[in-house]
Amino acid sequence: MTLIFTPPPRTDSPLSRLDPRWKLVAVASAAAAAAVVHTPPAAAAALAGAALLAALGRLPPRWCLTRVGAAVLFVAVFAVPLVFFHPRNDRAWTVGPATLSAAGAETALVLVCKAAALVLLALVLAATAPLDATLKAAHALRVPGLLVQLTLLSYRYLFLLADELGRLRIALRVRGYRNRANLHSYRTIGAVTGSLLVRGWERAERVGQAMRCRGFDGRFRSLSGFRTTAADVLAFVAVVGGAVGVCLLDWLR
Amino acid sequence: MSAVPAILVSELTYAYPRGPTALDGVSFAVASGECVGLIGPNGAGKTSLFLCLCGVIVPRARTLVLGGLDPRDPAQRRRLPSCVGVVFQNSDDQLFNATVFDDVAFGPLNLGLPPDEVRRRTAEALAAVALTGLEERAPFHLSGGEKRRVALAGVLAMRPQVLLLDEPSLHLDPRGRREFIRLLNGLPGTKVIASHDLELILQTCPRVLLLDGGRLIADGPARTLLADGDLMEKHGLEAPYSLRGGR
Repeated sequence: MTLIFTPPPRTDSPLSRLDPRWKLVAVASAAAAAAVVHTPPAAAAALAGAALLAALGRLPPRWCLTRVGAAVLFVAVFAVPLVFFHPRNDRAWTVGPATLSAAGAETALVLVCKAAALVLLALVLAATAPLDATLKAAHALRVPGLLVQLTLLSYRYLFLLADELGRLRIALRVRGYRNRANLHSYRTIGAVTGSLLVRGWERAERVGQAMRCRGFDGRFRSLSGFRTTAADVLAFVAVVGGAVGVCLLDWLR
Repeated sequence: MSAVPAILVSELTYAYPRGPTALDGVSFAVASGECVGLIGPNGAGKTSLFLCLCGVIVPRARTLVLGGLDPRDPAQRRRLPSCVGVVFQNSDDQLFNATVFDDVAFGPLNLGLPPDEVRRRTAEALAAVALTGLEERAPFHLSGGEKRRVALAGVLAMRPQVLLLDEPSLHLDPRGRREFIRLLNGLPGTKVIASHDLELILQTCPRVLLLDGGRLIADGPARTLLADGDLMEKHGLEAPYSLRGGR
């Protein structure tokens, strides 16, 4: 099992008790604010805000850090070269033969903070409400039913595909296969990928048949019983206020 | 048991596009409330027959009526899900929602029922399969037997007159299989059960249809047909152990 296929933990926290509709809009606003800022103080404030929400949501620190760490590592691959090869080439520091750019370091820092903040916000959303509740909230907020249904089905069958991949890997290993950098390995990986695609397509056909047999006509229907309380509105105002504050901080710099 | 047939099939033929003939002139009738076993080797046409009966594929037939509806007619086919329920071979193909509750409620919601009625039917169906309390569980965290029962609950919640079950004991352990057989025997309504598990057929169905190569080979009492070792062997099956009489 990789990180992707591990279901998020269910936490009991003030955030998990909020109406998913208000929470979705508030977290989306915070994510939008984190995505648009481009100064280090604002990006750091966005990350701090996301960390505060993660703490309020009582997200398991280790679970959070492994995921945020993976995202930061991925972004670092693109961000770190900016320190050495930034177009402004302001040569702030010289370390041996290398010249480092202050503007590049600033951009790299902003990128890393923004990525970490965005991933952390996504984790807050995933851990403080079941995905189906969040998607039903999205549908209640007029997100097209087709999109909601596709996401739900993808989430549901992702685990099955992961299981199938696991079984295929075991089948390969018991027949002596080991990943190596040679033509045989590439061909085998290609065959496994093709097999997964074909199985996925066949399963999609069968799922479609089962849905039609239960009267599915393409429309998403749910029994969502959302109820707004004062706490929902207060939490919404606080998060959106924080997001506006981050944007103002960015604009003032 | 009423004399009015719940299923009436006459000269049903179906060939897959650019494929072999899956069903060839199949004719039979199932009375309302009857429980019939559908047996045959792999590729006999059992699943194809189910797909024809529930309107997923459209065959040629002189007569094809289930609960008064013709699956070949598009307008009547749209009403078919409230009348015919299908439990497929692989429960994972049938459980596509994020929670057990949502999955069981899926069919009643599609029927356009009011929310209270949907909740009532969902609760009743889950109680019928002894899964009350698992409403918020994700289907992929359930055992094979629980998945099969959720799939059945999803169909029962639509209150179908006719229930089609494709290999209901597949992937079930002996205890899960025993519980499922008990559950099936307690269900009212017309049932057609396709299976290679002939002991299960013997324990649930008084009558059997034998299909091979897309043709209906035999139609008769389960005990008589299943005990005919030569007939079973000729069509790639084996008489159930309990009927072999020391052989």
